[in-house]
Order: sequence, then C-alpha cells, then structure tokens
Amino acid sequence: MFIDVDCSQIKKFGQNAFGDYFVSKRSDKQERLIAVLSDGLGSGIKANILSCMTSTMLLRFIEEDIPIQKAAQTIMDSLPVCQIRKISYATFSAIDCRSDGNVWVVEEGNPTFLLIRNGEEIALEAKEYTSPKFPDRHLQLYQFKAEVGDRIIFCSDGVTQAGIGTKEYPLGLKREGFLQCVKKCVRDNPEISSTELSTQVIQKALSAEPLEHAGDDISCAVLYFRKPRKALIFTGPPYNKMKDREYCLSFECFAGKKAICGGTTANLVSRELRREIVNLSAVTSGNLPPVAAMEGVDLVTEGILTLTRAAEYLEKEELSHQDAAGQLVDFMLSSDIIEFMVGAMLNQAHYDPSLPIEIEVRRTIIKKIKKLLENKYFKQVVIHYM
Amino acid sequence: MEKIKVKICQGTTCFVMGGEVIKSIHDTLVEKYADKIEIVPVRCLEVCHDADSFSQAPYVYVNDEVVSAATVDKVISVIESKLKNE
Repeated sequence: MFIDVDCSQIKKFGQNAFGDYFVSKRSDKQERLIAVLSDGLGSGIKANILSCMTSTMLLRFIEEDIPIQKAAQTIMDSLPVCQIRKISYATFSAIDCRSDGNVWVVEEGNPTFLLIRNGEEIALEAKEYTSPKFPDRHLQLYQFKAEVGDRIIFCSDGVTQAGIGTKEYPLGLKREGFLQCVKKCVRDNPEISSTELSTQVIQKALSAEPLEHAGDDISCAVLYFRKPRKALIFTGPPYNKMKDREYCLSFECFAGKKAICGGTTANLVSRELRREIVNLSAVTSGNLPPVAAMEGVDLVTEGILTLTRAAEYLEKEELSHQDAAGQLVDFMLSSDIIEFMVGAMLNQAHYDPSLPIEIEVRRTIIKKIKKLLENKYFKQVVIHYM
Repeated sequence: MEKIKVKICQGTTCFVMGGEVIKSIHDTLVEKYADKIEIVPVRCLEVCHDADSFSQAPYVYVNDEVVSAATVDKVISVIESKLKNE
C-alpha cells in the first residue's frame, strides 16, 4: 500500500507566518510514515515557533520508536501554559502508519480526524488519557487497520471554526461541515489526490469566512492509502552492451508508465524492441531538444540537459513548464513510485572541454532528482544502475 | 528523383554545440527546394561516440555523408553540391 500525503494551509489574514505546522516523514525503506499537525496558540511568528517545535519534537520522538502514546504524553505534560489564556501553548495530532496498514493516531486539542472508507465516515473508538499535571489536557489514542482506498483527514480548528459568527455558519463550519466537504469531494472525484482534497477543504473553509479573510490559520492534511502508481525512466545505455536486450525487455515488461531520457537510449530501445522513434517535432521550446514518441512509451526526451532542467524545476517548484523537462516533471509527479534504470556507459563527447556548457554526470543528476522527489514531493524513488 | 534526406542530430552534444541552430536551414531551404529535400531532426545520430574518426559536433547527415562541425552554411553547401551532381 502506498500512502499519498499532503497538507494545504492558509495563514490567518494579515499574518506573515503560518501558525499551524505540518511535518511528515517516510522511513528509508518506506515501511513507515509518520506525520504531525500542530496548531500553535495565537497566530503569526509566535504560533509558528510553538507549532514547529511541538510537531518536529513529536515526530522525532515517534521516529525514535518511543511508543506514540508515551511520546504524545511527554509533549502534553511538558507544554507550557500561556500566561494570558491559561491554556496550553499548542495542540497536536500525530499519526504513525505502517505499510501493513496498522495505524496509530494521537490527538490533543485538535478537531477529531476523519477516516473515510468507501465514501463514508467510519466511527472509531478512542482511549482517553488525562494529563496528571494538567487535568484539562486530554489525549485520544486510536489504533486501527487501514485498507486500500482509505483516507485519513486532519484539520486545524481554522477549518471547523471557519465562518463563525456569520449568518450562514453561526457556529462555524463545524466538524459536520468539514465532513460534508470531504465526502462531496470524494464523491465527485473518487481518485482525488491528497493535494487536491486538502486544497479543496481549505478553500471551502476560506469561502465560509467573511470577505474570505481567514480568521485563524487554516490547515488540512490528508493521507490516502492506495495502490501505488508506478513509473519507470530509462536513461543511459548499460555499461555492458551484451545486456542491452535484457534491460530493454525488463523495460518493456514494466507494469506502469514509461519514459526514455536520452538519444542513445531511445535508439537502443528502438533497435532492441523494433519500434520506431517518431514525431520528433521541429519546434524546440525552452532551449531544450524536443520530445519524441515511441509505441508503448509515454515520453521520450533528450537525456542530460532535460534531466538537469527537470531537477531545476523540481527544486524551484516551477511545475507548469510545457517544454520537455516540464513534461518529464509532470510524468514523475503523477506517480508514487519512480524507478530509474540508469546506464553507466559514459559518452566521452559530453566531457569535451570545448563544449559551451558543463554537462553534468548522469548519476549525479539522478541522485539529485531522487533527493528532491523524496524530500520535497514525498515520492518513493528506486535507482537501478546498469 | 528521390529526395535528399537531411538528418540533424538533436542529441545532447550536438544540441549544445549548435545543432538546434542548424534546424533553421529548414526555413531557408524548404521553399527553394521543397520537393527535393527532406529535413528531419533526429534523436541522436551516435556519431559523437566515435569522436576519433570524426572531428566535432554538431553532426548532420546529408544522405549518407556525415557533415561534422556543421554550420548552416556548411550544410547548405553540401546539399547544394549534391543537388548539382544529380
């Protein structure tokens, strides 16, 4: 099972920092995902620091295999009390998911999360713990098994209280409004991604606010358990020419979307699989060689220049370019698991000192893309050197 | 008469060495010799892999003849000499 995770946020109107903070981390072997959403008291910089500290500390505790309940209790018992409001400095929700579907959730002070299965909410029993130090602080612990297709949705009170005091929502959107919004989105688009769902929830909350000015920080985090969408990118000819055919056949048999990045690689696949490279457009855009097409392959581009530019777009979060690199970025971001078949054969001509630009080494650029996809876009990346 | 086939390499080395610019011969020649030549940008001609036997990128094939260190003028002159000989 793959967990598609994302969080969307809106700052309180007039503030320049988010008062809610979301962090998530996948373990190296991808068998575990931990995420924490914290809401700092007040708004702006102060709230940002409080929620950032709370969420990052809690994530680190859970990551270090301190049982989630104990980790959360430690935070709950040690959060200071605001001198003015006499309540704790931050609220939080944390989730620890394993690839076998086992899920643990703890919540303290945040609106209760939603578990949506087959378009309906599943009610869950919670164990409650009260802080021995602060009797007004209660922790809810949930344990359940997630199934393929489940969605778990967290929000800050900026969502449930959106529109409070208005004619339409005198008591705010409430949890009911939050639930109805999620159910409608899932009904309209059963495959909706976490990015899209979390965005639609915060937009709904914002639209409930007078003049669409957020009265509080608004956050929504979504975890979507689904079968992973896989993609394979073949780039660079294999070191051992004798293995060209073998690698081309495994490329051919891959169950998922496929791309080829590299002229020589495209020629090699074309030769081994007897498929023509077609439609190389005469028009280039963005100073990159144009894309081509091949039967059974979703995208065929030039190699190093396109990969280098794609890494640049990923790094700068420029995701709307239409050139070959932009199409490669789209190709990668629309999948959960991206595999690279990286040929180790070097083209000496790329290292000719008379070239007007420096051409990166393929391995280096693929490693950079891997890091960006994993850390910035929460993708799972596997590299096979050939 | 068979058309003269002009293949312009768009592989990495050729592209950065000016292969992209050579595509402009399309605009220069297509009106003049529309029925005599066919210009196609290709993924990679793989000539640069054998840099010892050929001088330098960018490379263009005019039928079977490799034009190395190709420029727009050089390619046009090779095409025109072929047209003359035919």
